[in-house]
Amino acid sequence: MLTQVLINGILIGGIYASFAVGFSLIFGVLRIVNILHGEFIMLGAFITYWLFKLYGIDPFLSIPVSFVILFIFGFLIQRYIINRIIEAPEIMSLLLTFGLSLIISNLALTVWKGDYRLVNPEYAGANFKILSFTIPYVRLATFSFALAAVGALYLFLQRTDLGRAIKATSQNKIGARIQGVRPSMIYAVTFGLGAAITAISGSLISLSFSVFPSMGGDYLLFSFFIVVLGGLGHIPGALAGGLILGILQSLSTNFLGAGMTYILVFLVLYVVLIVRPAGIFGKGLV
Amino acid sequence: MKAFNKLKWGIFLILILFAVMAPLKASGYWLRFLTFIFMWIGLAGSLNLLTGYTGYLDFGHVAFFGIGAYMTGVLMVHLGMPFFPAMFIGAILAAVMAVIVGIPTMRLRGAYFAIAMLAFAEAMKQVVMEFDRFTGGGNGLSLPIYTNYLFFYYIMFSTVILTIGVTYWFEKSKFGKALMAIREAELAAEVSGVNTFRCKLVAFGISAFIAGIIGGIYAYWMTFLYPGDAFNVLITMRMIIMAFLGGAGTLLGPIIGASFLAAVEEVLWAEFKYSYLIIVGFVVVFVVLVLPRGIVGLVKEKARVK
Repeated sequence: MLTQVLINGILIGGIYASFAVGFSLIFGVLRIVNILHGEFIMLGAFITYWLFKLYGIDPFLSIPVSFVILFIFGFLIQRYIINRIIEAPEIMSLLLTFGLSLIISNLALTVWKGDYRLVNPEYAGANFKILSFTIPYVRLATFSFALAAVGALYLFLQRTDLGRAIKATSQNKIGARIQGVRPSMIYAVTFGLGAAITAISGSLISLSFSVFPSMGGDYLLFSFFIVVLGGLGHIPGALAGGLILGILQSLSTNFLGAGMTYILVFLVLYVVLIVRPAGIFGKGLV
Repeated sequence: MKAFNKLKWGIFLILILFAVMAPLKASGYWLRFLTFIFMWIGLAGSLNLLTGYTGYLDFGHVAFFGIGAYMTGVLMVHLGMPFFPAMFIGAILAAVMAVIVGIPTMRLRGAYFAIAMLAFAEAMKQVVMEFDRFTGGGNGLSLPIYTNYLFFYYIMFSTVILTIGVTYWFEKSKFGKALMAIREAELAAEVSGVNTFRCKLVAFGISAFIAGIIGGIYAYWMTFLYPGDAFNVLITMRMIIMAFLGGAGTLLGPIIGASFLAAVEEVLWAEFKYSYLIIVGFVVVFVVLVLPRGIVGLVKEKARVK
């Protein structure tokens, strides 16, 4: 029983890690806490839902579509809106992304209504057994996709010129500018990339959880929890944070009741902020 | 500037006189409407004391409203306590919780505080749901019924006076100046000998105390509490929007922002429930990009040009 609960937690934790990574990336480079983050997940999930519902496209095949659409969306928002106040005090970007999130989530609510929707391809319920443990194929596949996305992002930042330019901008903006990097463009690309990778996890989430316009709020909270645990701006930390949240949630849902998750999340957050504000690895920005 | 000050006090006196006299003429609907506006002025003002003066944005301020409301309700229902002491204890509890949450979060950058508070409000809602023996959980909590609407009108109005008074004290006192120094440049304030951490905590506690008082009054006024209503994220959103629309960190800002938005809401809310929030979103974006100092800032700029 306990092992089964842990397995479930880890499988969900992979998805959690993948949406927290986008949050961490955007914070690490742009130094803004993106309240819009939950909306990226919601949009990714809805893209997958509609492609599946209207055209019968397999949810996994819709991932590239989510990625591209949200990249363009994020790029434009940063390029034309957030860049205008990027040098202003932190509270301004908090407010601005909060306003944008109000617009997007309520626009979605007006257009798509508040119904809870499900993406359920015929293989949705299939599973296999190892020893006596049940592992659903879908959860395993989404877990692998999520980890692959995190890995790809990490390699992109380490190995490509654009990735290095992003890292350089986050470390020293003036230095990067001297080397011919345009911070405003890097910001737009980073925000687009953060949105796109988050949309991937939105698509993956739609396979396990219901899709509705106001779903973003919870995921914003979870993202924050994960990146604080892993260290704000420290990308590998998000992986650990995601797994911890997945396990924590799975345990509390099974043994304490679903409502307790929020209380536990807050208590753990509280203790971590006191004991290790820079995350469990101590590499976050405080 | 002197003329502007005189004008300000003149407007104030007229408004206060108007508010005190209103019940002589106004009907039930208008009194209820004005009572709501007072509530929002108080709430926006309480958020303003924290966010406007220290620069710490609070995404979970509704938690203190909810704590005040539920503590008042629980004390009145289960201990048979009279309203005023129950409300007072509720507000004290809100302030104590603020200090407890503030101790780790206010040492860090504002973003940690903002979202930790979001988590706190969500957690408090769940706590109320879990302790259903006292709070009624998801079934709600019924308070003793008291229907004297004039009582609620005047007591809500006195919270407005309280909020304005405290804000005025922030504007004029050394403590308030220390807070503004924190908002503008925390490190510089620290170096100049301001105990920034303690100042922030005190401001946070006062702000939560006022939100708690208003929550208590709201509970007694509505006579019925739901966790989903008393800890509604929308309440926090409105407080933030009202404070910033009017002009955060000013005396008049929350009053103007709350009156304006509450009035607009009254007209738009019923007919355009969701599109209303889209419009509000655009207003927030507009305020940040075009009018970062709010309506009050706009008026002040104009006054300066003369």
